[in-house]
Amino acid sequence: MDYFAGVDIGSTMTKVVIMGQEVIASVVRVTKPEQRRLAYLTMSEALREANLSFDELTYVVATGYGRINVPFADKQLTEISCHARGVTSLVPGTRTIIDIGGQDCKGIKVAGGRVVGFVMNDKCAAGTGRFLELTARALGVKLEEMGELALTSSNPVEISSTCTVFAQQEVVSKLAEGVALSDILAGLHQAIASRILSLVNRLGIEPEVVVTGGGAKNIGLVKALERKLGFPIVLPPDPLLTGALGAALLGRDLVEKAQKEGSFPTRQERRLEEVKFFA
Amino acid sequence: MAEQKWPDKYPIEGRRGRKYGTVAAMKVAPMVKAAIGGAVEAKRQGKAVAYCFIESIYDEIIRAMDIVPMWTENYAGICGAKRDAQRFIDKADSLGFSRSLCTYATCGLGFDAWREELGEMPPNAPWGGQVKPDVMLSSGQIICDPRNKWYQACQQFMPDVPVYNCAALWPLYEDDLDRHDVEAYYVKYITEDLRGLVRFLEEHLHRKMDWERLWEVIKLADETTDLHVECRELRKAVPTPMDTGDAMNTMVAQCFLMGTREAYDFFKELRDELKYKVEHKLGVVPEEKYRLIWPGGLPSWFALTDFNYFWSKGAVFPVESTYHELVYSTKDLDLPQTDDPLEHLAWKWIRRQTYWWDKAKKRPGSEPDVEKLITWIEEYKIDGVVIHEAYSCRSWHVGLLWQVNQLSKIYRPIPVLTLKGGKKEVVYRELPSLVLESDMIDISSYSEAETRAKIDAFIETLESIKSRRVEV
Repeated sequence: MDYFAGVDIGSTMTKVVIMGQEVIASVVRVTKPEQRRLAYLTMSEALREANLSFDELTYVVATGYGRINVPFADKQLTEISCHARGVTSLVPGTRTIIDIGGQDCKGIKVAGGRVVGFVMNDKCAAGTGRFLELTARALGVKLEEMGELALTSSNPVEISSTCTVFAQQEVVSKLAEGVALSDILAGLHQAIASRILSLVNRLGIEPEVVVTGGGAKNIGLVKALERKLGFPIVLPPDPLLTGALGAALLGRDLVEKAQKEGSFPTRQERRLEEVKFFA
Repeated sequence: MAEQKWPDKYPIEGRRGRKYGTVAAMKVAPMVKAAIGGAVEAKRQGKAVAYCFIESIYDEIIRAMDIVPMWTENYAGICGAKRDAQRFIDKADSLGFSRSLCTYATCGLGFDAWREELGEMPPNAPWGGQVKPDVMLSSGQIICDPRNKWYQACQQFMPDVPVYNCAALWPLYEDDLDRHDVEAYYVKYITEDLRGLVRFLEEHLHRKMDWERLWEVIKLADETTDLHVECRELRKAVPTPMDTGDAMNTMVAQCFLMGTREAYDFFKELRDELKYKVEHKLGVVPEEKYRLIWPGGLPSWFALTDFNYFWSKGAVFPVESTYHELVYSTKDLDLPQTDDPLEHLAWKWIRRQTYWWDKAKKRPGSEPDVEKLITWIEEYKIDGVVIHEAYSCRSWHVGLLWQVNQLSKIYRPIPVLTLKGGKKEVVYRELPSLVLESDMIDISSYSEAETRAKIDAFIETLESIKSRRVEV
């Protein structure tokens, strides 16, 4: 039996998926500065969960912005390819993927299961998880409760600033004016949804639209996106894991393709060992 | 990546980065330095210096009148390439110029303000600095909106330096407008505009135009352009012998030195080098995997090594529109005969600007720039499009995004059944595009890590599309 692993080191979360024919283990941990060490620890945990040794893994693919910090990976691939592969395996009719990560936001256009275009917002925190995190802090609300609270609003306010810093000032001043928290949160989610869609619209949004990343766990944001799109969004069972899943699947694809040709894809000299940047 | 067997004729020993770039392109940096330093020296010797914009129709006129050009946009580009533009942009910012202006203009305005304040060049000015001119030759060329106002704004710091605004107009494309119906009108206007320019230069610089000499310069410039067109044609070869990374340098001979023997010799040498490389199948990279087009717009001058990054992935740019949009042989332009050199320049200008009109009219909903790209995508066997959205270069990039959208409607990711040799064949003609975001000289808008992450993802997309073509 061949086993494949995908390691996705995002700016906020580190994810590992191990699979044979099906997924047999998945682990999600908070990303920390020592990414190489974290990659090792998360992979070790996933291997324990899968009841496998590292040598039993046929192929390991790393992805995410920290992908170069996975010394035991056979190959590095960008999160664009991995998200597309992971999502289309779960939702075959996918045409547009919106990945709302901790520090960036991506739009991916897919046709026939393959990437045909992408956009990334990587210079501005607006429209990313970071925006939600900072405003939650400014408003004294728990991040995981923001979305639900926003849905209770009957009169969302308009947040005009698209800059994270200025939007924070704006919501705090609305609070001082006595505007209900739920209305501020609803306005905030609408503002983020507009920002995200103006980016992804460059690709031409077509259903099925699938949302992944931490943003997909915020029901207020998902509903705001749906309202603006005018049709429902599909959420994968675990939206944090699609990148790692895609990495594992792409590893499997590479091996299967090579085996058909009577070869094997290039594999790194690899050892799973703890590596530290800082003493 | 495998190495290529390389001839001694074009040595690569000791080269950094652009290992298989053209030898001709390596001569460009000293040429630019000589052009900039030359203006400083010319001023010292009492020669006339003019602030100029490239591709503004008047190159042959200033050469024939022995006026030394100071290419102000390009000096800003040099500051950017040397990663030393920010202090001049900040100077303009402190004077109240909007940060939304073209950063070439704010760099130039900041430099001029500082130089005039000090009464000498700002400290450690790149390559000797931008010398104070005797005249400023503005341009209303439609592609750059700040050109009209830039030199007028300069007069705040140099009220004694006169400006001539050369309109250099051309008709905007319309589906139902036949260029032949309107071009004579534009030619008449431009010819008179140029006559006004000559009078302005004669009056302010105290010299007379030598019309015989102007014809000689025009003839030399036209022959130089023919050589340049030959170079572009040679780049169609697979593997391509030269790519955009080099062309962003070789533009110097066309844009800074047009009408000089130096430019002619440069393109002759480049043409010979490319011919040799095509004959011997010597490419820009050892293993050419993807052929890309740069459909227009300015690069980040401080990050030209991004082209090397593309090379490291086996991706090359055999063609670009930037600095090539006006490079057409006079033979192809079918210029009417005239005894007036200014009218000849006007006809050349108009026919170049409307070169793709007739072709565009045959495709409903199309536009000349899109037709140019479609033609080049087919002729150069292009796999993908890369554009750079330089935030401060507004008018150019607005059009570029539209052009890329139009291309995506033509090159769709759907299988097309074709007949080849009597057999049905499935063909995919999708053409992915990559949009890089930054500025031509404002380095604060650039992130190398993010740019390269986007390039990585784009290369994976190209690879995925290519593997599908193979599977079919």
